[in-house]
Amino acid sequence: MELPLTALKNGESGIITSINIGGEGRHGMGRQFKHHMGSRYHTMRLEKRLMDMGLTLGTKVTVLRSAPFHGPLEVNARGARLILGRGMAERIFVRVER
Amino acid sequence: MTQKKLVIALAGNANVGKSVIFNYLTGLHQHIGNWPGKTVERAEGTLHFKGYMIDVLDLPGIYSLSTFSIEELVSREYIAVERPDLVINVVDASVLERNLLFTLQLIELETPMIIALNQMDMAERKGVEIDVEKLENILGIPVVPTVAIKGKGLFELLKEALDVIEGRVKTKPMEVRYGKEIEERIKKIARMVEKAKLRYPPRYVAVKLLEGDEEIKREVNKADPQIVATTENLTREVEAAHGHACTTLIASERCEIAGCITRETQRFVPPIKPTMEERMDAITTHRILGYPIMIISLLAVFYSIFTVGDYAAGLLEELFYGWKPIFESLLGVGVAGKLIWGGILEGFIAGILVALPYIAPFYFMLYVLEDSGYLSRIAFLMDNVMHKIGLHGKAFIPLMLGYGCNVPACLGCRIMETERERFLAAFATTLIPCAARTVIIFGLVGEFIGIQWALMLYLINLLVIFVLGRLAFKILPGEPTALIMEMPDYRMPHLKTVLKETWFRLEELIKVAFPLIIVSSLAVKLLEVTGILGPIAAILSPITVTWLGLPAIAGVTLIFGVLRKELTLIMLATLLGTTDFAQVLTPIQMVVFTLVTMFYIPCIATIAALIKEFGWRRALIITVFEIAFAIFTGGMALRLLTMLGI
Repeated sequence: MELPLTALKNGESGIITSINIGGEGRHGMGRQFKHHMGSRYHTMRLEKRLMDMGLTLGTKVTVLRSAPFHGPLEVNARGARLILGRGMAERIFVRVER
Repeated sequence: MTQKKLVIALAGNANVGKSVIFNYLTGLHQHIGNWPGKTVERAEGTLHFKGYMIDVLDLPGIYSLSTFSIEELVSREYIAVERPDLVINVVDASVLERNLLFTLQLIELETPMIIALNQMDMAERKGVEIDVEKLENILGIPVVPTVAIKGKGLFELLKEALDVIEGRVKTKPMEVRYGKEIEERIKKIARMVEKAKLRYPPRYVAVKLLEGDEEIKREVNKADPQIVATTENLTREVEAAHGHACTTLIASERCEIAGCITRETQRFVPPIKPTMEERMDAITTHRILGYPIMIISLLAVFYSIFTVGDYAAGLLEELFYGWKPIFESLLGVGVAGKLIWGGILEGFIAGILVALPYIAPFYFMLYVLEDSGYLSRIAFLMDNVMHKIGLHGKAFIPLMLGYGCNVPACLGCRIMETERERFLAAFATTLIPCAARTVIIFGLVGEFIGIQWALMLYLINLLVIFVLGRLAFKILPGEPTALIMEMPDYRMPHLKTVLKETWFRLEELIKVAFPLIIVSSLAVKLLEVTGILGPIAAILSPITVTWLGLPAIAGVTLIFGVLRKELTLIMLATLLGTTDFAQVLTPIQMVVFTLVTMFYIPCIATIAALIKEFGWRRALIITVFEIAFAIFTGGMALRLLTMLGI
């Protein structure tokens, strides 16, 4: 099953299948984010930053917790604990075995 | 005796203990400046070891060597072009896999290097075991385990560094090999690049070209446009075959290599009992408890700083003003004496009275919070709120700094990723009541009307920041960046590093702010001595008296406030001839006066900081806007409060 990272429960893991920063999140949460996602350079830059932090295709990501009021997610990837803004996490799709 | 000179650079991710190693190696022989023409900090220090004078350079904490951020570009150019004798790659042993991503890039840059496998104690506590020898063999580079915070392994690190530099230990770094499809194309491009003779190694250039690195592309294009054209074709071939961007593929494969190395060298046995750090972490980021804990700890920090600061400021003031008669007897009380004492020295003293008792402890506490890892938790909790004004969680840190002094807060906005965010964050910080404004809020409203009114002004201030921040966010074109940051583990703050950090911020503040404070203090004193202040007050009276309902001389004090905000109160006392403000001002006047002081232009030092960071035009925009806004708000408050009959 392919889901955005935000759909995972705490403690659940998935393998990254696509990172879709240029596109739209599947849920309404990233609206504030959406109209600003225009420029290609900006998109590339964000994707690059994710990759630099070890979030590449095929990486196993575990959601540790999410901040209240639809705040950011804390995840574990490649042994590192990372905080991802929700709008960003929504655009990372993972394969989950449920 | 002439000493042989060496240059060693420290490189690595953020939060790996790089600056602790740097401080340990260089001690007091440090120099912090900027990279030429860049707003990136450059920390350099010297060290004497075995007959060498070693220049140690602490590169910024980065996660990659691409060119999407200034820090990365600066580091890459430094390593590739200036070629230090050795790069020490500081690696966090408890996050080995992710750290190796950067190590692999350094290897690709073909720089002479060794690895400091730091925070071994933390790794151990987390149940991470690393086979150092095996790691050394795979990477082909010496790996020295260290616990920098306790000074462990640093002597061995230096010895190893010299062994490599002097050639006693030969290194044979592994070759970073990609999948067949990409590898073939890298070789093809590298062969072409070899002839072009660039500053970077050919294979590295080939990889970066396939990764779409703009800076490298530009450089190659100058040498031989044919290479770029070929690369673009090759990139398209790969992308057509895989359906993913070439950049993504290369990054994924590099991650896979790091993953393989980690699997071979690391064993992970999670401890059964959660550690102290983990429990603290769980409570302080708890979805309900996290917020009250944050508010209480921040209030406690502020409260203790201002209580201690008040006391210390009082003592210092007595000390300094004790010298006044001595100066007066030396210089006389004529115009020259007045200018030197009242203009230059009083400016200097007042600067010290704010910087030493309030701002220094404030920075200290803030860096303790940062070094312990708590500020990252606050960023996590506050991200959502900050998004409403177009910023993300990290912006909370410069905003906090603003409560101490706006100057370093503006400079601190550099941690934001884009120019737009830096500006938005700086705008918000200039509205934060700094230590000097706090003196007015509590000294006037808090003292003579009631503490609840003072706190109310703080709430109003937060509301205004929120509304104006949101407006600015809507008006300014551009895209917000999402929060991507590492969550560091809790740890004991390293006192020496915290003290250094505090001192350097203080030094920066003194350099930017003090000259301006003193010069403008002299200028205003000149105005006073020449008797121009009266006419100025008269000119301002339509605003001060008619619109704001304040005494005419308030205009003069507001001009003084441009120098330093707390001067408005001091001047008010001088000009009104009393410190019992209840006799001369109505409560409404006090509130209006405080509101105006709170919002009208950041002081001259903050303006200087804004100019330094954003240029004249933007500094002027903020200044003019805030004057207009303060006057508007003050007038509105007057009418509203009168209407309500409070």
